[in-house]
Amino acid sequence: MANDPIYLDHAATTPVREEVFEAMKPFYGPRFGNPSSTHRWGRDARAALDEARERIANCLGAHPDEVSINSCGTEGDNMAVLGTWRTLRAQGRNAVVTTPIEHKAVLAATHQVAHEGGEERLLEIDKNGVVCTPSFDALVRDDVAVCSIMWVNNETGVLQDIPTLAERAKARSVVFHTDGVQAFGKVEIDAKTQAFDLLSISGHKIGAPKGIGALYIRRGTPLEPLLHGGSQDRGRRPGTENVAYAVGLATAAELAVKERESHWATQQRLRDALETIILEHIPDAVVHSRGAKRAPHVLNVSIPGTDSESLLMALDLRGIACSGGSACQSGSITPSHVLTAMGVDSTLAAAAIRMSFGPMNDDATVTRVGELFPKLVAKARSMAAA
Amino acid sequence: MPKERVLVAMSGGVDSSVAAAMLVDQGYDVVGVTMKLFCYGDDVPDRPCCSLDSVNDARRVCEQLGVPHYVLNLESRFGHDVIDNFVDEYVRGRTPTPCVRCNTFTKFRDLLHKADGIDARWIATGHYARVADGALHRAEDQNKDQTYFLWGIDRAVLPRMLLPVGDMTKAQTRELAHRLGLTVVADKPESQEICFVPDGHYTRIIEQRLGAETPALQPGPIVTGDGTYVAQHEGYARYTIGQRRGLPGGFPHPMYVVAIRPADRAVVIGPRDELIGRGVVAREINWLADAPAVGDTVQVRIRHRATLAAGEVVRLDTDEIEIALDEPVLSITPGQSIVLYRDSLVLGGGLIERAHHDDERPLRRALPIMAA
Repeated sequence: MANDPIYLDHAATTPVREEVFEAMKPFYGPRFGNPSSTHRWGRDARAALDEARERIANCLGAHPDEVSINSCGTEGDNMAVLGTWRTLRAQGRNAVVTTPIEHKAVLAATHQVAHEGGEERLLEIDKNGVVCTPSFDALVRDDVAVCSIMWVNNETGVLQDIPTLAERAKARSVVFHTDGVQAFGKVEIDAKTQAFDLLSISGHKIGAPKGIGALYIRRGTPLEPLLHGGSQDRGRRPGTENVAYAVGLATAAELAVKERESHWATQQRLRDALETIILEHIPDAVVHSRGAKRAPHVLNVSIPGTDSESLLMALDLRGIACSGGSACQSGSITPSHVLTAMGVDSTLAAAAIRMSFGPMNDDATVTRVGELFPKLVAKARSMAAA
Repeated sequence: MPKERVLVAMSGGVDSSVAAAMLVDQGYDVVGVTMKLFCYGDDVPDRPCCSLDSVNDARRVCEQLGVPHYVLNLESRFGHDVIDNFVDEYVRGRTPTPCVRCNTFTKFRDLLHKADGIDARWIATGHYARVADGALHRAEDQNKDQTYFLWGIDRAVLPRMLLPVGDMTKAQTRELAHRLGLTVVADKPESQEICFVPDGHYTRIIEQRLGAETPALQPGPIVTGDGTYVAQHEGYARYTIGQRRGLPGGFPHPMYVVAIRPADRAVVIGPRDELIGRGVVAREINWLADAPAVGDTVQVRIRHRATLAAGEVVRLDTDEIEIALDEPVLSITPGQSIVLYRDSLVLGGGLIERAHHDDERPLRRALPIMAA
């Protein structure tokens, strides 16, 4: 329909896929057991959970015991940063290295490390948001417990060369974590051939429900759990497992891996088409991270002379859902820490709009947004000039 | 005909929620907006600000009404126009009413600008006041009337304002909230505090902005009108005209703050007689109707909820007005607003500069009447 609302915010979350929903259903009915129980209901649930773990492991090139199923990307990021540092600090590895453009989960966990007496080191990034290698070599030394670098940035889509960085960390015997929440289903991830030790993924970015995620933990990686309780997941993640969601995550992960290449191509075509239209109509628009390799689903553009808050409201009222910097608790938009760290000036950062593509978009999306967006921008600019 | 769009400023309270509901009912295309005006502590998760709940309430009401809701960050402009001024006024020894400036600059200027951005013909709030034919009138509910806070807005904005609850009493508003099923907000207690000073300790805001060393928070003398030293105080910003609490005793009659003198950080106290004012000089005048003429009789309010007092305009310049009061009034306070009325019509207002205490009325001077 010509007037149906358009969802252009897939980096925020995605709808649960039909296949995922179907796969989860039995666990809300007859297969309701607790995987820790020894009776038939328990055994059935346990089998489903183990199978789900194995399927997720296959998607990552991992052994099943290297997959810790948790609640979300934030949990994985926290466990990776805090769990590693708390284990290794006593061995003279008191520093955590990360970038200023991480997700708040990694940044806040790193601040927590500093709060608990550790050292926080931030890598330099260039104007596109790419980690500078000399800075990496200077900061990732043998006093570092863990180095955490996001594979695909959630705001700009910028892609880091994680395989190379992970190798460099390995050469210094530094545990390497990557937040792979936006990367999973986009880039090729293979723990067998890539040297990362820890990788977090999240279900709701790939068509599973919110509230499920996983942390890949390479065998032998020193890691203290965040939660204390029963022996579930070898004590790494105590608490009765959400079997339905684990099955949902496994199903979504398999689909994401299967469709990875075709989705990359489609999303890149749509994104680039819209980007071209926007730049044609608004020549002074600034597309962030445009000078670097980007994941195909994110288009982050600042329109000088506008503010993202007003533009987002105008877009939403016309049925187009995008996002701005990062929303705070109240839901108001604050200038993005990512863009600020990239050296984007604050006025331009406050004018950023992130459009992120996914299964709910097609050529019609590009046509409609391409037509409407420049009009709304022109109006916003005329208002600002008045 | 397409529905006319209205941007409704929603605080999460019962008044603006009912206002939004009434406008939906009247067929407007309602867009709810909650302004973020000061820090909600987004980086302090263990200390969520009380106002966060208000945002959530406003959002829930909008969901219930089936209309969009947005949070708009007006923090930096509010900080500049309202909080900085609030602090400056205390430093000048005056007692500000920040709600006036919030209405003038934040709601009916900055937020109106946002309304323009989404093609909203109208802007609505939950104020108890009425707009008719481009003029502002006192609310139906005399106890709730909020026109005292609205005198500063640009007159040109009046034809775009909708104040749906201004025709109702507070009790009727609550009743309507119940009837409309707005249970989230229907029985919410009234907020009497200044929004950015939820605990009432406004000196903390002064300290935050200017540091504890600011002269307004430094010790100074409490003196009587003839200059006699009485005691030391801990900062003149802690006092307001007419205040009795916290003053030293030992006098034959109750003593009140009668003046604040930033120049020597003095707080002047005196008996009740010294609070009596017979005239008012006000500045930063704004007219919401045609300006009165010298010699006109008007009703004035010199404090929120104060009873209306009759007076006569004895002088009128572009930026200053002088009113002679028919009956003396207590505690005319510099920095507070004076609002002028003719019956229910709000003529305009200004900021009180000083009171006249003389027994005799100020002399009438024939000055040109400036056009409004």
